[in-house]
Amino acid sequence: MATKKRRSIFDIIDEYFEDLEERAERFRETLIERPSWNQKTCTIEPLRNIMVTPTEVIVTVDLPYTEENTIQVKPLDKKTIEISARMRRKIRFYDFGITHYRGEFQAFDCQTRIPVLVYMDKMKIRFKKGILEIRLPRKHEYTIPIE
Amino acid sequence: MGEGLSLSDDVKIIENKQVPSGAIMLFGFPDVGLVGVIAASHLISELKNLEEVAYMDSKLLPPLIVLHEGLPHSPIRIFGNQDILLAVSETAIPADVIHQIMYALIDWGKNKNVKMMISLSGIPIQERQDVQELKVFAAASNSETLKKVQDLGVEILKEGYMVGPQAIMLQRCAGIGLPALTLLAQCFFNYPDPEAAAEVLKELAKITGLKVDVSTLLEKGEEVRLRARDVMRRTQQELSKMKKTQEYDIPVYIS
Repeated sequence: MATKKRRSIFDIIDEYFEDLEERAERFRETLIERPSWNQKTCTIEPLRNIMVTPTEVIVTVDLPYTEENTIQVKPLDKKTIEISARMRRKIRFYDFGITHYRGEFQAFDCQTRIPVLVYMDKMKIRFKKGILEIRLPRKHEYTIPIE
Repeated sequence: MGEGLSLSDDVKIIENKQVPSGAIMLFGFPDVGLVGVIAASHLISELKNLEEVAYMDSKLLPPLIVLHEGLPHSPIRIFGNQDILLAVSETAIPADVIHQIMYALIDWGKNKNVKMMISLSGIPIQERQDVQELKVFAAASNSETLKKVQDLGVEILKEGYMVGPQAIMLQRCAGIGLPALTLLAQCFFNYPDPEAAAEVLKELAKITGLKVDVSTLLEKGEEVRLRARDVMRRTQQELSKMKKTQEYDIPVYIS
């Protein structure tokens, strides 16, 4: 039979505000247009995707030109991970025919919010065909018993 | 030249050069995996005789031009030679105007007596990175065209939903009695997929006899993925507005 773990009112309020903050961040992201590259840090923001299944969260990241042994995935807090990787070659704007910007990039970097609670310490990572796949088991804090 | 064919007050197609009659018209528009755009771009670089013959001028599109060598170009252009016309978009097309844009291009093509329309696109699959051999499926505007491609060994997309420019193309062409075909290569949903573009071009060759070497496309795969990132990101936003994930749904069968 499923068990029910009691949570304090403070936990529930904390979770509510975390959720609210996350929604606000997503909304801000849709409003603020920004380039996908950063000249100051010489990094490119990779394309990524998050899928939530009943048992895990799967984050995939498109990392062309990446040297596999330089990939790093770091949990920043309970719901955020930072992904970084170095590329095998430097990419300059000039390589794409762009001459009005100066800058070269040799790394990917991004931070991603995980939409549900997960076990960060049980993260599994693999890299295939230039796609990084991060699997995070979901943390189910409580279950509602069927009466 | 510079003749404008007004298809509506909001969409015009301006011709720069003589447009051939009786060609096959191809579409490479932003969609999942940017399969169509990557395939179209490779066609233009491989077939040296494809020249810009027309472009779209539309108030429905965002206030945007594409600069090449310092000169302005419409984001939606039509390239052509004696045998093919290729409509390609270098920018994500806003979901709310896709009908008008597609109708204008199809009606223009019909006016040029195109004998067939073929849309190059993708069909997303999960765990794409684990798939070695990508399949290409086809759907057609009429049973004769479907039979022809089936006889050539192309697998048919029998049941399911189709969302996006290729859906509009099939429906419109079915309505006006113009043979049309959509080729869909298995691909990533939201990452540029040059391998899928190469597969779709191989199937196109089988159907039309248009031979294109895809080896350079595969060699430059990583460069293409990096270059196409920003268009993919914006396309993703429009796909979400179009409810593109409905393609994963199982339809209710109504005979």
